[in-house]
Amino acid sequence: MVGVKVLDEEKFDVIVVGGGLAGSTAAYILAQQGLEVLLIERGNYAGSKNMTGGRLYAHSLEKIIPNFAEEAPVERKVVNERISMMTEKDAVTMSYHSPRLAETGSDSYVVLRGKFDRWLFDKAEEAGAMVTAGIKVDQLMVEDNRVTGVICGGEEMKADVVILADGVNSLLAEKAGLRKRVQPSHVAVGAKETYELPAKVIEDRFSLTGDEGTAWLFAGSPSSGQVGGGFLYTNKESISIGLVLGLEHITESGKTLEEMMVGFTNHPEIAPLIKDGKLLERSGHVVPEAGLSMVSTLYGDGFLICGDAAGFCLNIGYMVRGMDLAITSGELAAKAVLKAKEKGDFSSSSLQSYKEMLDNSFIMNDLSVYKNFPAFMDNPRIFNQYPSMLSGIMADMFIIDGKPALPLRKKAMKHLKAVGLLNLAKDALNGVKSV
Amino acid sequence: MTVNNIWVITDDQNAVGELCDGGRQLGKQVSVILFSDQNRAQEAISSGADQVYLFGQAGESVMIEDYSKSIAELLRAEKADLVLVYSSIRGKLIAGRIATQLGISVLSNVSELTVDDGSIIVKHMVYGGAAIRTEKALTDTVVVTVGSGVFEAMPKDAARQGKVNEINPNVDNAGIRILETRPKQGELVNLSAAKRVVGVGRGFAAQEDLKMAEEFTALVGAEMACSRPIAEGEKWMSKERYVGVSGVVLKPDIYIALGISGQIQHMVGVNHAKTLVAINKDKNAPIFKQVDIGLVGDLYKVLPKIAEKIKAQN
Amino acid sequence: MRVITCCKAVPEAQDIVVTKDRQISIEKAEWKFGQYDLNAVEAGKQIVEAVGGQLSGLCAGGKILDNSKLRKDILSRGLDDLYVVMDEKMEQADTYQSAKVLEAAIQKMGDFDLVLCGAGSSDLYAQQVGNQLGELLGLPVVNAVNKITPEGDKIIVERTVENAIQVLEISLPAVFSVTSEINVPRIAGMKDIIAANKKSVSKFTLSEINADNLPNSSSEILSTMAPEQVDRRLNILEGESDEVIDAFVKLLSAELK
Ligand SMILES: Cc1cc2nc3c(=O)[nH]c(=O)nc-3n(C[C@H](O)[C@H](O)[C@H](O)COP(=O)(O)OP(=O)(O)OC[C@H]3O[C@@H](n4cnc5c(N)ncnc54)[C@H](O)[C@@H]3O)c2cc1C
Ligand SMILES: Cc1cc2nc3c(=O)[nH]c(=O)nc-3n(C[C@H](O)[C@H](O)[C@H](O)COP(=O)(O)OP(=O)(O)OC[C@H]3O[C@@H](n4cnc5c(N)ncnc54)[C@H](O)[C@@H]3O)c2cc1C
Ligand SMILES: Nc1ncnc2c1ncn2[C@@H]1O[C@H](COP(=O)(O)O)[C@@H](O)[C@H]1O
Repeated sequence: MVGVKVLDEEKFDVIVVGGGLAGSTAAYILAQQGLEVLLIERGNYAGSKNMTGGRLYAHSLEKIIPNFAEEAPVERKVVNERISMMTEKDAVTMSYHSPRLAETGSDSYVVLRGKFDRWLFDKAEEAGAMVTAGIKVDQLMVEDNRVTGVICGGEEMKADVVILADGVNSLLAEKAGLRKRVQPSHVAVGAKETYELPAKVIEDRFSLTGDEGTAWLFAGSPSSGQVGGGFLYTNKESISIGLVLGLEHITESGKTLEEMMVGFTNHPEIAPLIKDGKLLERSGHVVPEAGLSMVSTLYGDGFLICGDAAGFCLNIGYMVRGMDLAITSGELAAKAVLKAKEKGDFSSSSLQSYKEMLDNSFIMNDLSVYKNFPAFMDNPRIFNQYPSMLSGIMADMFIIDGKPALPLRKKAMKHLKAVGLLNLAKDALNGVKSV
Repeated sequence: MTVNNIWVITDDQNAVGELCDGGRQLGKQVSVILFSDQNRAQEAISSGADQVYLFGQAGESVMIEDYSKSIAELLRAEKADLVLVYSSIRGKLIAGRIATQLGISVLSNVSELTVDDGSIIVKHMVYGGAAIRTEKALTDTVVVTVGSGVFEAMPKDAARQGKVNEINPNVDNAGIRILETRPKQGELVNLSAAKRVVGVGRGFAAQEDLKMAEEFTALVGAEMACSRPIAEGEKWMSKERYVGVSGVVLKPDIYIALGISGQIQHMVGVNHAKTLVAINKDKNAPIFKQVDIGLVGDLYKVLPKIAEKIKAQN
Repeated sequence: MRVITCCKAVPEAQDIVVTKDRQISIEKAEWKFGQYDLNAVEAGKQIVEAVGGQLSGLCAGGKILDNSKLRKDILSRGLDDLYVVMDEKMEQADTYQSAKVLEAAIQKMGDFDLVLCGAGSSDLYAQQVGNQLGELLGLPVVNAVNKITPEGDKIIVERTVENAIQVLEISLPAVFSVTSEINVPRIAGMKDIIAANKKSVSKFTLSEINADNLPNSSSEILSTMAPEQVDRRLNILEGESDEVIDAFVKLLSAELK
């Protein structure tokens, strides 16, 4: 049995820190290839401490565990996308239905980390990884600038290589001086609440059937005009709803995240959707925001960093995407280790293959596509004036109160002027440039 | 089966009254087994016993539990229908041992006991108080353990007549010798009598901080109680003062919980309070789902202020 | 010295959901070993650490005991090996039936010097299986054991009864139920958890320990229901400002009138 050998020589091939999606994926693949893997999760069970909006783009895990959605505890398959521009009272909503949303490869699922991470963690164990939950890695063992293991509660455990998948505030990497401090402007914070509702009620309110689900994003008043946005995802028997906001903007808005959350959940567009729902949980978490510009050290002598810890997360203001990046980066880290294992060389130069694989993957591609996006988003107009402009136009179009009507062009102009045509053009241009 | 012969076994004289009362309600004939002396036996009779079996105090080095075999024989011979054993530590061990002799289970820590056309029905908590289970006894002799508060002692009647049988039992050779018996310094409290109770929990970071609570308790003229960790983990207060499924169950007019999260095992001890009040800094603490009045705040900050204001009033 | 600790897996009380009309459901509940059985394991561990020997775990229960996480968890707390008796019948076993099965298993487990039980199982909390097991084995049996000091073929224990502390000299083998105050169970470290993976687990069916004909249950379960909920006013104030405190004191004083 795995354990026996390990205890004799007190050393693993690989230690993976963090039982999130990145870590469990890496451990799963390595164990499958017969390596001695130790997967260490701080929470009492994987996912117990993790937070996400809830939408997992399937493509990444699909490659590793085909048809995973059939066995994994996914909540609902997203078949309906909605985006709303909001002001305090109104909302302009676009809705998108398409069979393409359901096609394997481009499908996506709403997940609850408490269940989903746990499942993937257990898969890693089934595959033969040694797993320990409820144990926190306090620091990395570093011997002459080489990571040689981890230290938990005074106990040392050695390994040829350590994979850091310990999430966005990867203190370990920082402590070991492998990575610089995260700048506030580089992170956003998220708040999320989950409301319990009977499946029937959810299906009625979102006109869904069976396992179908809705993904809904919001710009404008949810972040009270600040850079950021809101999200809403339908689970089987609950609704996840939350906000993401640039850390440095919270102060400017003069409102606390909690206050914004209250405002959001009471918005006429939202309130009826979660009506009578029982608040199951409330959580807050940091999101690496600045995309590529935040990606720092990815590997070195005896270590690799993946997932949020590496900064692999796209925050496009109104939506955050990191789970599929976490999974694929975990996969690539594992592959890099397998290569290194063949050579029996775990030095920085040997682990460099990780970076190469990343560069050729969608991860670096998408990160660079959105490279300037955070900057572009970092513009109150997007989240403030445009939503009110849009809803203004809509109001004129739809609200008939007997006042003499203006031709539509004039109606629109009135609102466009409010923002300033020049600004509009500028933002449009930047928007295009940044994508 | 009809319930005629009720037997009461207790190592604590104070329980005799209540258990005899229970016996009289449930059956015809009440026999009491005591481990004391003639006076206590007479007292038991005036409290409702028809017969007393005196297993005199065992020798210094012998545990009364080691009479279990003899007791079991007696119960078998006398065709006991129901055996009410006081749920003291010793009582529990005796109950377990005699039940085993009789080849049956013990129905433990029952909160309610009734006879329904000849069969004995008991209620007791399961899952740490999350549920109450109702069971129907199926055996010829039924052994239950009962705490105080289940029955009400009836007034003593010195005129009652009854028979006292002195037994000199043989001690099972159980291989246990008492080397020493030290009285516990633990003070005697009767929380169940208190009308107002203040309960303290892990919200208090250090023993000396309990002073705050003591002053407050005195101020509102209450008795002080606590959650289990305070009595057992921290040992800051005596065991007699912890409330809950495995501690004391209270029925006060008001219970004020300070720094108590409100886990079920604790709350079942106070659910019968007329008014429940809680102070806790965590607004998601379970206790706030079951209080009449709650204050979300750091007790270190608010308790002194509250005390001030109450003083000001008086 | 060979010590056997009896541990029972139980559903977590706080995971129990109350469905309509006070019915309860343990379907969603996480299973754990009883909080108080961990005191028994710790007590056993301290003994073998002091005088050397082997610490075996014994648990009887339903199919949940197939859960390797559950078994690893208890093994990681210091057991050397674990014996599991698995049968659906055990899911509703009463105290006598449980004691019978444990007795049979212990006979199968070979020589031992001491059997330790917890203060009570976290689901039934009958506080009897230990007492009944001791009586069945015909061995010295004590509950409420609060201190254990091995002395050769004897053992000295302190037992806390209501108003006194008894110091007892007990000949081995014997069966004790320990208090929940006797110690603070250690938290498993990384190495304990890793070690748990290689420890041996022996599984028995009832027939393998010649216990397939259990004695009849002493009682029939008529119902298991959530206690009646008292409706509370839920008048909850938030904050530490003087206004809030005043309001709170006002409410409180009204109750204290
Ligand atoms: C509000 C919000 C909404 C989001 N919405 C989405 C979305 O809809 N779709 C999407 O794809 N992404 C979303 N994301 C991003 C996504 O959640 C993350 O990118 C993803 O969780 C990263 O996974 P990970 O495994 O790298 O890190 P994590 O999921 O954070 O896992 C890290 C793990 O390491 C453990 N750990 C940390 N330190 C230690 C230590 N010292 N020792 C042991 N263990 C340790 C933690 O307990 C945790 O289990 C959202 C994020 C937020 C905050
Ligand atoms: C079989 C079994 C039987 C049990 N029987 C009992 C029993 O009879 N009685 C019993 O009490 N328990 C019992 N327990 C234990 C019970 O499950 C809980 O562990 C216990 O009640 C918790 O006690 P607590 O609320 O004081 O501590 P905690 O649960 O730790 O709660 C402490 C609370 O204090 C709050 N707090 C912290 N700091 C502050 C501050 N500065 N200001 C305000 N609030 C603060 C925290 O928010 C928290 O809610 C039993 C358990 C089991 C398994
Ligand atoms: N099914 C079981 N398996 C193992 N040990 C048990 C079992 N049931 C009870 N015990 C032990 O007996 C003690 C008392 O249980 P109870 O009488 O149910 O309160 C528990 O703390 C355990 O140590």
